[in-house]
Amino acid sequence: MKSAHVDRARFEQAVLPQLDAAYNLARWLTHSGNDAEDVVQEACERALRYFEAFRGGDAKAWFLTIVRHASYDWIKRNRPAEIAPGDGTEAIENATDPAGVTPEQAVMRDAAGNALNEAIAALPPGYREVLILRELEELSYKEIARVADIPIGTVMSRLARARSMLQRSPLLHAIREGNAGRG
Amino acid sequence: MDCHESNALLQAYGDGELDPVRSAEIERHLIGCKECAARRDDLAALRARIRADVPYHRAPAAVRARALAALDAAVSAPAPTRPPRDRWSWLTAGALAGCAATVLAWFVGTAVLDWQADHDLVSEAVTNHTRATLGNRLIDVASSDQHTVKPWLSARLDYSPPVQDLSAEGFPLAGGRLDYLDRHPVATLVYRYRQHTIDVFVRPLAAKTPEAAPPKLATQRGFNVVHETGSGMEWWAVSDVNSEVLTDFLRHLARGT
Repeated sequence: MKSAHVDRARFEQAVLPQLDAAYNLARWLTHSGNDAEDVVQEACERALRYFEAFRGGDAKAWFLTIVRHASYDWIKRNRPAEIAPGDGTEAIENATDPAGVTPEQAVMRDAAGNALNEAIAALPPGYREVLILRELEELSYKEIARVADIPIGTVMSRLARARSMLQRSPLLHAIREGNAGRG
Repeated sequence: MDCHESNALLQAYGDGELDPVRSAEIERHLIGCKECAARRDDLAALRARIRADVPYHRAPAAVRARALAALDAAVSAPAPTRPPRDRWSWLTAGALAGCAATVLAWFVGTAVLDWQADHDLVSEAVTNHTRATLGNRLIDVASSDQHTVKPWLSARLDYSPPVQDLSAEGFPLAGGRLDYLDRHPVATLVYRYRQHTIDVFVRPLAAKTPEAAPPKLATQRGFNVVHETGSGMEWWAVSDVNSEVLTDFLRHLARGT
């Protein structure tokens, strides 16, 4: 790799602590552990190339921005059908009506603690990423805006939309009723 | 504040993104408005469920190892500033020159370079150890059986490190992992001693390292680092175990008896 000299200690300090967050985001975007590993690797190589341009500050947001780009590039290369043009709102229909899952099946899956995961995994990527960054990474709106490259207002509206999709998700309703029945 | 406004701000309120004045306003509204309060509770319940049930996918060991390998490649790509093997050759040359000034320079040079090289390795070893114990990557292959650990390591390295279980001496083998030392992958054996963890880095002895190098001891950030040579290998042990125990342990391991 032809790169400018990388300050090893500085890179270790800035990037290595973000590997879990990076993998988590890539994993939620690509739906696959193996793919997430490749994406994070690619992101690390990009980060090494651009590290000199990193002026310090929020290393997590900086690296997650790279991870996000690497994830979408990876999906574009390998599973182009998943990326809807624009912000992915076209996939909303699928998200609110998870294909072919009956409430009974959903209740069964709750035993494995899967229903909520599946509902989130079924969100369009643009909504899924803000939700993951907010709820699992606990980033602020400002940081999410930076990572996802959208205005703060859009962060807020996507979060609200993502949450209401989850709340209305038939999967989760089935679970709630199932729990009530059992409890 | 009315319901319309409250609705618009409820998410930001729940996310802790509202300023104190707005927060106080919305809280006043929530006290008096059952519908908005129910919406707030729904959001809180959703958040609680997500945090409880949705897995945070932590990076597996391989991700960290590959990131470190990429970093190594990037760091060593430009001409290395201090090739570790070369210092011996010019030290030897310096000694041969023989005049008083050179001898003096040699003494000073040896001390400084040795100290620096050792210091680098010591701090690298300690960093590896802390990274491994703090993170989730202490052990790649968990086994107290040397016949499991050894082939696992041999398959991933261009050498085959001696692996011994020292349970009888109070140091059970916990497993092994691949780490990086001095820009090369290195066999790492993990031992337990009471409540402590000991990392042992093993690599082939460099041709010019004297076989009978005296054991070296260093302490960094509260960790003891011991160096030994033996069985054709160079050994480093890092742990918070006290230095005498660690020295004995490593000597035992290096001798292979």
